[in-house]
Amino acid sequence: MFTTGSKLFFGASALSLVSALLYAGTTDGPLSMPGVVGLLTATVFFGFLGGINYATRDGNVSGMQAGVEHTSPAAQPPVRASMWPLAAAVGAAGLVIGAVSRPVVFKVAVVLVLAAAIEWMVLGWSERASADDDYNSGVRRRLLYPLEFPILAAVALGAVVYAFSRVMLRVDKDSGMAVFGALAAMVLFAGFVFASKRDVAKRTVTGVCAIAAVALFGVGVASAVQGQRTIEKHPTTGSEGAVCLEEGTAGEIDDHASQDVSLKSSVVANVYLQSNGVIVAYVNGFPDDPKSEITVPRSAWVSVRFHNDAPTAHRLTARLGSFAGAAETVQCTTAVNPGKEALIGFSIPKTNAASSTPIVLMVPGLTGQEIKLVIP
Amino acid sequence: MFVKPFSRRRVAAVVTFGFLLAGCAKDAPQDTFDPAGPNAREIDSLQRPVFYIAGVVGLIVLGAVAYAIWKFKDRGQDIPEQSHGNPKLEILLTILPAIILAGIAVPTVSQVFSLDKKDNDCVINVTGQQWWWEYDYVKGSTCGGVEITESIVTVSELVIPADTPVLLRITSRDVIHSFWIPRLNGKRDAVPGRLHTLRMEADEPGIYTGQCTEFCGLSHARMRQAAVALTTADFQSWVTNQTADYTSPEAGTTAAIGETTFIAQCSRCHQVDGLVDGAGNPVLAEPDRFVYSGAAPNLTNLMTRTAFAGWTFDLISDECRDRLWNESPETFGAAYLQGVWMYSAADATAPACFNETNLREWLLNAPAMKPMYTDPTKLAETGGKTRGMPALGLTQAQIDEIVAYLLERK
Ligand code: HEC
Ligand SMILES: [Cu+2]
Repeated sequence: MFTTGSKLFFGASALSLVSALLYAGTTDGPLSMPGVVGLLTATVFFGFLGGINYATRDGNVSGMQAGVEHTSPAAQPPVRASMWPLAAAVGAAGLVIGAVSRPVVFKVAVVLVLAAAIEWMVLGWSERASADDDYNSGVRRRLLYPLEFPILAAVALGAVVYAFSRVMLRVDKDSGMAVFGALAAMVLFAGFVFASKRDVAKRTVTGVCAIAAVALFGVGVASAVQGQRTIEKHPTTGSEGAVCLEEGTAGEIDDHASQDVSLKSSVVANVYLQSNGVIVAYVNGFPDDPKSEITVPRSAWVSVRFHNDAPTAHRLTARLGSFAGAAETVQCTTAVNPGKEALIGFSIPKTNAASSTPIVLMVPGLTGQEIKLVIP
Repeated sequence: MFVKPFSRRRVAAVVTFGFLLAGCAKDAPQDTFDPAGPNAREIDSLQRPVFYIAGVVGLIVLGAVAYAIWKFKDRGQDIPEQSHGNPKLEILLTILPAIILAGIAVPTVSQVFSLDKKDNDCVINVTGQQWWWEYDYVKGSTCGGVEITESIVTVSELVIPADTPVLLRITSRDVIHSFWIPRLNGKRDAVPGRLHTLRMEADEPGIYTGQCTEFCGLSHARMRQAAVALTTADFQSWVTNQTADYTSPEAGTTAAIGETTFIAQCSRCHQVDGLVDGAGNPVLAEPDRFVYSGAAPNLTNLMTRTAFAGWTFDLISDECRDRLWNESPETFGAAYLQGVWMYSAADATAPACFNETNLREWLLNAPAMKPMYTDPTKLAETGGKTRGMPALGLTQAQIDEIVAYLLERK
């Protein structure tokens, strides 16, 4: 009676109708109207497509030929078992479970359902494309391989990258180098062997690669489960008075910080601690004329680059004022070695007049030299 | 379907002609093709030859295509002989454009660097936020011989000395904006956390308009700005006025009541420099607590400006604006410096040009005039801070007082 194609569309139409009713009954707010209209449109539309498919016998059989609906290719049962109904069912269950548990389950289920829908639809169509089974599977391949191969390859590559990255995050920094080197050497060696022995069996290559992949993935999962090694952060600026306002270095932070600045152009000023111990500020706009004041807009983020040309390590500290009785805000670069540089950025929310402490840039240990920050 | 072919053609002709005519608009204050300063002129003198060359190339290409279409159209003739590749032609067609492009690149690149020159005298911080521009004149600058000894903060109207290069240091407090005064220079993005510089110079006194050219949210279209160039003498007067001491309104006047109302209603966001409260303590605005960007316009000299709220609404009447904009470079400054009091008799008690309607409407319900994010129920994600000025529910009496007070901020 009903052709395969029309069943699909009538089913979709019925599903849209039920969804529309459910949606209308459970949702209100600005989206409810468009939602219901959309779903009802889908109902009508799928019904229309179903009608066309029904009337044309899925386009496979002339409407004039009576009785062919049972003998035409379109009416034949599937030739072999398919895994896609199962996948779709798992996906549907995943949708429900994901909706109440974790979003990631839901997302995976959506992907699964979509994949199953596409594969199943193309399979169902191709199996009935003609009476010739070989031709039919050829059609399916031609349609789906361009989709399947890149996606599967991407997934496989992703798995390799993910597993490898977990391993690298798990092992500590020094063994990491050894692991990386050894793995790279192994890949190179295997590639070399395969390439030089032209007669090596295809099965051997596949086997070796499969074993390697499984091993890598296993180790990767194990590392992921164990979690990554602790990675110490080395902040490049500090904000503790004890560190920022004292002369000298303060240990760990100072030892590891980067002392090169790539942001050259968009700083408000370059502050130099000269070899004679004098601080000068070259302010953006006055390239040849050192200034002792920098005007910055309030509530706007600005950066200052600090160069240390003195013979010992020094930091640049920004005293950013204390407002409405709150403690003074200070911020500083790490101790910068001779010849090196560091960046400091800040935003001052209020004018100088509102602060009970001076708002200045200074180098701890060098008294009487300050670059004033003017915030109008 | 029922349109006859010739009338369709006529419609097309009219539309095309309309587009062409639009290019000839006379009253176009933001015309890039009408440069009014050295930087804009440099850009213009570069783009014109490039445009002409491109135009000639375009005509040749179009002509060749038209010829090919006409010559080889299907008249039932045989398919011509099929060939593949023609090294000579291909090499020629690669080298020729390369030469043209290289020829254009030389002046372009050299000009990029020449426009980027940093000058040494007059620096102004230009800070964008939703949806207006703030300018603060960097202390220690010398602008056209006028020393800036105190920083000056103003809004929307960038006042500069004519015939003098100024360097703008442009940044933003919230999202990316772009500063553009087409007749004076190209545009420059205002990016939060970065500082971009742009040189600007106007040949003659006058008003040069522009607008934010990077989509920046709800009222992007109402984020405009202007550069106002003055003679050095007029600029000196402007600076003197901007840095003059604050004067309280005369006791007992409506304006004096307005000062109290202003402190109560407006000072938490808006700074008026020099304002003190009843106990003599300075009143300092704290826009960082109430406005998302952390800034609100400085109103110390509001009445010296000719438009407000992102330079969108006139602070002077239409007639006065027309008159001001048509002043000659020699007479422009004298009128401009009077602010809303321009064209008033010397002994006038009320300004002749003040557009009171606009300001009152703003004070009554600012978000109704300019769309802004001030709905109190939707401010959770900004910590309760507004983007723009909220409606404050002022009474007519309060508005009277505040307007009287603001009229003296000149
Ligand atoms: C919550 C903070 C806030 C308060 C309170 C506030 N304003 Fe505003 N006001 C703003 C912001 C922000 C703008 C900029 C709006 C824009 O142009 O997008 C503004 C703009 C203005 C402007 C235009 C200024 C210009 O030159 O562009 C005037 C005038 C003004 N406000 C007057 C007042 C007065 C008078 C009061 C008190 C009755 C007041 N405001 C209270 C935040 C505030
Ligand atoms: Cu903008």
